[in-house]
Amino acid sequence: MDKSRKKEKKKSISYAKWGYYFIIPFFIVYAIFTLYPQILTIYNSFFEYYRDGLNIIGPRFVGLGNYAKLFETNTAGYVPIVRYTMNTAILWVIGAVPQFLVAMLLALFFTSTRLNIRGQQFFKTVIYMPNLIMASAFSMLFFTMFSQVGPINQLLISWGVVDKAINFLAIKISVRSLIALMNFLMWFGNTTILLMAGIQGIDEALFESARLDGSSSTQVFFHITMPLLMPIFIYVFITSMIGGIQMFDVPQVLTNGKGTPDNTSTTLIMYLNNFLGLSKNYGMAGALSVLLFIMTAILSSFVFKTIRKK
Amino acid sequence: MAEVLLKNIKKIYTNTESKAKKRGLFRKNEDQQEEKKINLQITDEGVVAVQEFTLDIKDNEFIVLVGPSGCGKSTTLRMVAGLEEITSGELYIDGQLVNDVEPKDRDIAMVFQSYALYPHMTVYDNMAYSLKIKKVPKDEIDRKVREAAEILDITQYLDRKPKALSGGQRPRVASGRAIVRNPKVLLMDEPLSNLDAKLRNQMRSEIIKLRQRINTTFIYVTHDQIEAMTLGDRIVVMKDGYIQQIGTPQEVFDHPANLFVSGFIGTPQMNYFDARLVKKDGRYFVETDGISVELAEEKQARLKANKVEEQDVVLGVRPEHLSIADKGIEGKVDVSELMGSSCHLHMTVMGKDVIIIVPTEGKTTNYAGKDLHLSFDGNVAHVFSKETEKNLEY
Amino acid sequence: MKKNANAIAKLKLLISRIVVYGILIFLTFLCLFFFYLMFINSSRSNAQLQAGFTMIPGGNAMKNFLNAWNDGSINIPTGMKNSFIVAICSALLTSYFSALTAYGTYVYNFRFKNAVHLFILAIMMIPSQVSTVGFIQLAYKYHLTNKLWLLIIPSIAAPAVYFYMRQYLEATLPLEMVEAARIDGSNEFKIFNQIVLPIMKPAVAVQMIFSFVGSWNNYFMPALLLNDAQKKTVPVMIATLRSADYSKFDMGKVYMLMVMAILPVMVIYTILSKSIIKGVTSGSVKG
Repeated sequence: MDKSRKKEKKKSISYAKWGYYFIIPFFIVYAIFTLYPQILTIYNSFFEYYRDGLNIIGPRFVGLGNYAKLFETNTAGYVPIVRYTMNTAILWVIGAVPQFLVAMLLALFFTSTRLNIRGQQFFKTVIYMPNLIMASAFSMLFFTMFSQVGPINQLLISWGVVDKAINFLAIKISVRSLIALMNFLMWFGNTTILLMAGIQGIDEALFESARLDGSSSTQVFFHITMPLLMPIFIYVFITSMIGGIQMFDVPQVLTNGKGTPDNTSTTLIMYLNNFLGLSKNYGMAGALSVLLFIMTAILSSFVFKTIRKK
Repeated sequence: MAEVLLKNIKKIYTNTESKAKKRGLFRKNEDQQEEKKINLQITDEGVVAVQEFTLDIKDNEFIVLVGPSGCGKSTTLRMVAGLEEITSGELYIDGQLVNDVEPKDRDIAMVFQSYALYPHMTVYDNMAYSLKIKKVPKDEIDRKVREAAEILDITQYLDRKPKALSGGQRPRVASGRAIVRNPKVLLMDEPLSNLDAKLRNQMRSEIIKLRQRINTTFIYVTHDQIEAMTLGDRIVVMKDGYIQQIGTPQEVFDHPANLFVSGFIGTPQMNYFDARLVKKDGRYFVETDGISVELAEEKQARLKANKVEEQDVVLGVRPEHLSIADKGIEGKVDVSELMGSSCHLHMTVMGKDVIIIVPTEGKTTNYAGKDLHLSFDGNVAHVFSKETEKNLEY
Repeated sequence: MKKNANAIAKLKLLISRIVVYGILIFLTFLCLFFFYLMFINSSRSNAQLQAGFTMIPGGNAMKNFLNAWNDGSINIPTGMKNSFIVAICSALLTSYFSALTAYGTYVYNFRFKNAVHLFILAIMMIPSQVSTVGFIQLAYKYHLTNKLWLLIIPSIAAPAVYFYMRQYLEATLPLEMVEAARIDGSNEFKIFNQIVLPIMKPAVAVQMIFSFVGSWNNYFMPALLLNDAQKKTVPVMIATLRSADYSKFDMGKVYMLMVMAILPVMVIYTILSKSIIKGVTSGSVKG
């Protein structure tokens, strides 16, 4: 070791130093704009530190006080973080379950040589499109569509389905359904394309030999496709979960940040956003961020495992 | 156009490096050569890829480094190029110590195994790139590129991108890129190994022609002994990081320094028999399977000079030097392969596989299943020590 | 008998094809319906919109556009300008520096090469929200709110883009290419810019598109950082539209504003959908 270190000091044709030069911009920017703020976030989580009107309260060290506070029952009679975690989970599940079912189905359709679907490029283009649409604008669009004077209500009234406009945003189920529908629309195309690529990555000969061995389509799916697709499926699934934890734009804009009705559609990031509003409650926001980080880290470790395996 | 001197060159891949190298470099070779038993010495510092490499390459000489994969030939070439650091030893190009000189300042050019043509540039730009970097005036670049293209017969492809070139044109372009710079030393790293057999033969003669047209020192790496034999002024046979033998193709073929070289050079491979070297009245004989052959004068002299004693040896005889005789070593023909002008007989002799080449001379004889006797002359018998595997003549 | 079996199989296939196409057409409808309605409504006057629902365009598109463009409270031209600045600069920086970083860890054998690579993979999964609290705090502390560059510069360190570029390099760049350029006399920086970057063009293009779309649509951070009307980006403006007193708005204008927010990405997507869809798979799955 010593020897090689000495050698590097003298003029040499080793290019190693260039490796450092090339990665330095990344790390400088990362350190200043991500790492340092992250550390500050964690640091904040142990302090009482917020703004009350024009006064700045703190920073005052409170240990795990902020974390304890997160789990306190509020004046409305529920524990915010529990409710918001549940909200986030429910919103994710009712969007993701149909999303994965439909995506799996579509991936199988598109890769089936028997069905030989025409116009695949067209269908893929269309179903992926919502993914690129500005989520806040998409959500605003849904808001106008489903508002009391919006076209959906107009349509329902003109068809005689209802006789008075429905206030979709005041009903728990409809708000959640709308959010789930938007998430479904935004993500099922993406998932389809990823699963399709996974299926196409499986050696065609395996399907053919399974068929010759007499397997039915269902058997091929459960015995060949699914087991071999599993790593990619898990990867896509967990990435979707991590995305779910970060759900924000859609419910925020749809409910104007209020999580109507009665905070039943408030997500964790909306909660975080509230702390960062006028009150600039860095202490509580910090504690919440740390919890978010832990949740994601657990999920990420699974993803990391699947990546490393390959 | 320069002398290249390598003095006791050594290369150690430190442990981190060797991991990276395994990923990058070795993997490529793995695909082509399945026999991949690397017996490189491993020390505390890492894997010793090359050691005790001393070679004096003369001006304008064509040197071929040949050996199985992992023998250190490519590493040696890359050290000459400046792509690998030299762990210890000295490298001189044109009398100048260049150990720590960057590749661009060594005045060398290199043709890579994959050709490494820049995919986004035309053939012309590929060839002009090094000159552009040196800020050579445009008209001079143009003249040089066209001149090189002329030599290599690729003028009509100058506007093409590498993707649009055929298998035979790519090595030409790669050579063109190398020769436009008129380098002191031209390095070639298995330039033909990606070609099919027919193209390879053709390109081999192209390289010979190229060599006649330009004045430069060539160092050529290959694992193919036919390329080594046909191209090299001298060839350097390597194994496990050590030089096994340096010599003209004829020398290496006629007087292999050890068992490895004897088996590596020449195809089909040399046959080996268990034999005994016997000394009678100051004369050396080899005895095997009841026959005794007196060695030729030149061999007698060398063995005598080395004071070689009577001992059990490995006797090596090339397939073309074994002939069918009335009496001699007994063997049975398993398979007979008609190759055209000659016939390869695969035999079992004393429990070992042996191949002999018999001229057909117009008549067809079916040898399959026959029992034959084989004999050989005293000037083509090679005796190797059983312990050291060295040729006893050396 | 045999003929019969064949006919049944054919019928079965026909039926399953009809079902499959039915599903596909339904989903296509679902994906397009709301956007179609948005475009229709953006061409209708407020009065027409109040009157009822229709699938036929109205003749008011130009007027709505001018109303939206010249709106006093929502300065959409400035918003679009800001969004374009942020999105284009981020796209350029993130793709160039990610490629550079990926090249650095791929080609050079420095001591912490693998550690660096694993580190970047590990931080890839940390949600960006974790740094938000500290980031906002710093921005306020140093009076950097409403500075657009604060949204741009961090894109230099984009682990996911790095990962994609690294994968692409491993698949397409033979190390011999770099060595050839070295022997040709190029220096390391030139090798990257003149040889490697052109080879990486497809990957760079895909990442530029994704990055552009990502920053164009980004709402969370800009909403926290930008409160000066002159500095707001489009998503922030759209969101303020939601929080304003909605019933007083000219709805035709509101729809037109949404069209304007979405249109740039839609245009890009219609032109480049093929390579975008290819890009979706090539980075993420092959892990």
